[in-house]
Amino acid sequence: MAVEQQLIFILEGVPLTLSISIISFLIGITIGLPLAFLRAYEKDISFVVDWYEKIFRGVPEIVLLLLFFFGLGAFFPFPFYNAFFVSCLVLGLRSGANQSQIFRGAIHGVGDEQMIAGQSIGLPKWRAVWHIMVPQVFTFSTPGLGSEYALLIKDSAYVYVIGLLEIMTRANQIRINTTDMVTPFVFAAIVYIILTFPIAFWLDRWGNRRKKKIGL
Amino acid sequence: MADYIMEAKNVYKTYCVKGEKKQDTRIVDAVKDVSLQIRKGDIKLIFGPSGSGKSTFLRCLAMLDIPDKGQIYLGDECLTEPGVDLNKARARIGFVFQHIYLFRHLTALGNVELALRQVLKLPKEEARKRALEALAEVKVTECACKYPSQMSGGQAQRVGIARALVRNPDIILLDEPTSALDPELTGEVIDTLRDLAKEGTTMLIVSHEMPFAKEVADEMIFYDEGRIIETGPPSLFFNAPNTDRAKQFMTRIINKTNR
Repeated sequence: MAVEQQLIFILEGVPLTLSISIISFLIGITIGLPLAFLRAYEKDISFVVDWYEKIFRGVPEIVLLLLFFFGLGAFFPFPFYNAFFVSCLVLGLRSGANQSQIFRGAIHGVGDEQMIAGQSIGLPKWRAVWHIMVPQVFTFSTPGLGSEYALLIKDSAYVYVIGLLEIMTRANQIRINTTDMVTPFVFAAIVYIILTFPIAFWLDRWGNRRKKKIGL
Repeated sequence: MADYIMEAKNVYKTYCVKGEKKQDTRIVDAVKDVSLQIRKGDIKLIFGPSGSGKSTFLRCLAMLDIPDKGQIYLGDECLTEPGVDLNKARARIGFVFQHIYLFRHLTALGNVELALRQVLKLPKEEARKRALEALAEVKVTECACKYPSQMSGGQAQRVGIARALVRNPDIILLDEPTSALDPELTGEVIDTLRDLAKEGTTMLIVSHEMPFAKEVADEMIFYDEGRIIETGPPSLFFNAPNTDRAKQFMTRIINKTNR
């Protein structure tokens, strides 16, 4: 297999890697944001959030991937015997736990006063959260979200254990087929770097500009 | 129809101050058996040493802090009863904070508009019109599209006042509206308050701006150690307060202003 063919074969995995990381990032926001606010404003049930974070930050993703795909998949082939679904789900659940912590720090940074001011104009608690806290919390957490996204791109490499044809699986297949131990992985490494950095960089810069604007 | 726009009956509030060590933790009686009545159009001014609980009392009135004991009435409605819709009640009370607390991600216009759109549910054009009117009333129209970080303290506080009065609340509570500002900026905020006073806005103000108090207050309330020590018209306090503590405090504050 010629070098260019190797590269093209690996590049064909980019859409899959990107879609796994983007979808799981979005799942992570959908889980992490409410969890962080529950943790901050509903003390009675914050222990649930605590356990969620403990479990999904404590168990290696490979274990979760195999458990969900083969374990749950054996009993519920639909939807768990679907490698793409399981990949997005597992990475998303884990990212949710991480993002919950990122957002919690941001909620703390934005401060209680903004909530009190929101309630003082008659906004109910959760509407104040939505209209006042959420926009500021996002701005505040952009650096954390940037590195979380970079982490997800890298972690998407784990899904080669359940055989999705993304960058890592493709690189590994080239190694198996050509016994070239170096080139495919160097290519994969370069592609991962190119995917990771611009987005983290862009998020960081956008966040800093916005922070300056609103004086956070 | 109730006699008073707002009334506090025997309100108590304590809170815990956590120290670095466990034995440093102490309980502060910020409000001890305080009662107060405010009629429509009244302008009352609370003053007293810092840390005496004035701000906590004000927050209790707006139910931003829930009193431990006692009743708060807004018109006929008792806000301390369980099951009262506090959000609806708070929508009828304007609150101005010492440290302003404008919503940092919104422009001045956005700050003022938010309650109209999201609490009163006004249509977009009407909300915009009323918000601009409110900004014009406190003379910060030029800041309409600025973010709080781009305004001076005086401008920001006037936007804060506009945010409180745009809903036409029954009463506006102001918690030391000028004390966090540079001295040269307090004037513009005081002028705004003076205008509101002329229009007959019902206000309860925590403030130590004595010349302003003398001019607009119907009644002054001396507050210390969680209690109302003495109440009376400004003339009483500026001439001869009845209690020693009020006398001492007035002397100190007047000396400071003259210096």
